[in-house]
Amino acid sequence: MQVKIIIGTVSFMIAMMVLGYAAIRETTRLERFSAARTGRQIEMGAHLYNQNCATCHGVYAKAEECYDAGTGEPIGCIGLPLNYNALLCGDTSLRMEAMNWSGTKEAFIQSTLASGRPGTEMPTWSENFGGPLRDDQIENIAQFILNYETEELCSAPLVVFDWPDTYEEYSAEFPEGDAAHGEELFLTLGCTGCHGNLEDEASATVGPWLGNIAEVGGTFVEGLNAEEYVYQSILEPSAFIVPECPTGPCAGPPSPMPDNFPLRMSENPQDLQDVMTYILGK
Amino acid sequence: MTTFVDQVRELGVKQAVIAKTDEVVERITAGMNVNDVRAALRGDEPRRPNPRLRPHADSFWLHIRPSFYHTEVTNIYPTFRLGWLSTFMFVWETITGIILMVFYTPSPLVAYGNMWNILANVPLGQLFRNMHRLGAEVMVIVVALHMLRTFITGSYKKPRQFTWATGMILLVLTLLLSFSGYLLPWDQLAYWALTVFLSASEAAPAPPAVNQNILLIAQGGPSLGANGLLRWYLLHVLLMPLLLGIFFFVHYYKVVLHGLSLPPGREEIGEDTAKRVPRDERTYFIPDLLTSELMWTALLSLFLIAGSLWLWDAPLETHADPVVTPLHVVAPWYLSWSQGWLKLADKTIIVGFIPLLMVAFIVMPYFEVGKSRRYADRRVGLSVSMVFIAFMLVSNWMGTPEFRVESSPDREVSIKVLPEEGPSLLMAVPYEEIQPGSYLPGQVVSGSPHLTEALAYYKTILEEHSCTMGNPALTDFHVAACRIEEGGTGEKRYGVGINNKEAMPDPYSELRVEEVQDGLLELNLYYEVANPDDLNEILNISDDWVKHKHIDSNYEEECRYFNKC
Repeated sequence: MQVKIIIGTVSFMIAMMVLGYAAIRETTRLERFSAARTGRQIEMGAHLYNQNCATCHGVYAKAEECYDAGTGEPIGCIGLPLNYNALLCGDTSLRMEAMNWSGTKEAFIQSTLASGRPGTEMPTWSENFGGPLRDDQIENIAQFILNYETEELCSAPLVVFDWPDTYEEYSAEFPEGDAAHGEELFLTLGCTGCHGNLEDEASATVGPWLGNIAEVGGTFVEGLNAEEYVYQSILEPSAFIVPECPTGPCAGPPSPMPDNFPLRMSENPQDLQDVMTYILGK
Repeated sequence: MTTFVDQVRELGVKQAVIAKTDEVVERITAGMNVNDVRAALRGDEPRRPNPRLRPHADSFWLHIRPSFYHTEVTNIYPTFRLGWLSTFMFVWETITGIILMVFYTPSPLVAYGNMWNILANVPLGQLFRNMHRLGAEVMVIVVALHMLRTFITGSYKKPRQFTWATGMILLVLTLLLSFSGYLLPWDQLAYWALTVFLSASEAAPAPPAVNQNILLIAQGGPSLGANGLLRWYLLHVLLMPLLLGIFFFVHYYKVVLHGLSLPPGREEIGEDTAKRVPRDERTYFIPDLLTSELMWTALLSLFLIAGSLWLWDAPLETHADPVVTPLHVVAPWYLSWSQGWLKLADKTIIVGFIPLLMVAFIVMPYFEVGKSRRYADRRVGLSVSMVFIAFMLVSNWMGTPEFRVESSPDREVSIKVLPEEGPSLLMAVPYEEIQPGSYLPGQVVSGSPHLTEALAYYKTILEEHSCTMGNPALTDFHVAACRIEEGGTGEKRYGVGINNKEAMPDPYSELRVEEVQDGLLELNLYYEVANPDDLNEILNISDDWVKHKHIDSNYEEECRYFNKC
């Protein structure tokens, strides 16, 4: 019986030592598992992004390479870039300031995902508001997007071109436009997503068809000819909203047309002249 | 009655304290003072009247335990202590379960997040969760072995038929406890296992109106959701443990009432002398069995803790998704036999048969004719039970994913190389070892031993699902020739192996790795075959099998446990 008492006592002591060993290693293990939790959320988020978001926001979330979900054909990206300095860098990013968001960056992204942006093409995603995704899926996508924030993205200085007030001043700096390049940009900047192509009026499904903008552009705003009107429309979409859109009266103000083209074209302001050359058919 | 102060005055402080301690110990142990305890631990003969019997009469905790046992039932044989072990496991599960309850809420909105919280934020959370899950699996095995032992030693016979009946009920309750707990993590594994198993109620041989309602009640709605999770949680933490406790006490009371049955060879046939224990064949609970039980408690706790820490890990897959069915829904292993049975007969027959089997087991002792418990006299019964055990084991194997209906060969390869859920050799390769690019199966990557191992495994699996048409392009693939069958619409099916498993004819496959974000890789398995009827036509048969791997995801650690990779 002494043997039993000894064996019992020794096993108890060893069990306590094993527990102690586990307890000592817990702090680092918990850190590892927390990181693993976020890592796996990002993995799920990447998968969900590919399934739901890439058609509008681009394969690399830069709103540059979008493919039709059914046919696989390249289409214009109608979403805003997410792998983007202005959205992700800093505690309060430029985009958060522009949208008057006073909460955290994570909450900003989650809230945009959950409720969408009524009046734009961004749908409501959360099942709480009628969308298809659960809360945890929304969180996964948000983690994936936040993971685009890297030193590399944020250290590159944000170029903000000081756009001249009038087209006259602008074209003095950038007189020549390359229509062929403009046609490419018309696709990659996402214009085709809402305005369709310039040949077929029926292709414009959201925004007004632009095939005849050179003729009718000057009739909308007092004092602006077609070129000046197009210049203003691209840089400040909400300055004037046309009454008629393909599906009925145009939405807004504010206009559903993205208002961040001034930022997106800042790196290469010549792009605007190329696009305008293409649109106006010059 | 002298008070403590009077005693101090009379005897001095030291003596008074000793006397007081002695008195307190006698009260706590309900009858044994300090010297009695020391004598018991030393192994001395007890004084008369035997103080070691009084705790059994006077104390609550020991009143249901016998004060002595027949020496012949106290060794490993004949009981193997399995009844005691079952009780120990129940207490173990209760304690670990209550601790886990503190960190869990049974709502689909938060349950999964709670699981990750337990694993990633609660100190020793992973250990307790593993201990609870491991304990559950051990408990099912122990309870089944206990039933087997009771059958083999014939201890269910008169007068112990009712003990056997309550034991069967305890078995069912144990399985239900395990089954209800299985759902609680609310991950893909849990959700789909329960959905499939609960759908069995739809297949019962009863009118559809009855079946539909049973299913609705079991699921808490048209499909498993918030209501279902809540009611299975309540079953798991309230009703089942309560019923188990009640039936346990009935069962154990009967065990003590009739006495533990002696080894069959010891008694005359038909005689039951368990309660008449000669004085010289008595082993007293205090001190012998009590020290045994305490020793086994310490030993088993050590094994369970160490096992949960180093050998075994409970799985946690991705969040339950009612819209996405996993390619193979797996039953918990202790119910795998039922999935095996479903491959033998129609589900209505099986679902109707199982309750009949339960009833048959319960009433079996009342209908038994033979009086002898001796093994030589029970050859038929023992043989039948051995055949039944073998059948159960084979059914269990048949219910596993190895035996299931196969998907297309490229998908079968993908499932093994980059499974939908959980770690695999490839996912467990350290992040730094996988550089973006494309890799061929079997490729040796210098400086990346784990990746090389994973690619070798990839090649092995690919070969298992491939056959050759003699296409010279793939000479280092070791595969058999294709067996071609033409389908009704002129479609060709290429098979290989003993059971003519579907295979890809001379496939070309590669693993494509791209870094899509800082620290996030996208792994894509690509397959193409040359159309054997027109070798110039290359058919891309990939179905976009993509998995992502993040640098922090820690699959390497999961693969360390023997039940994972």
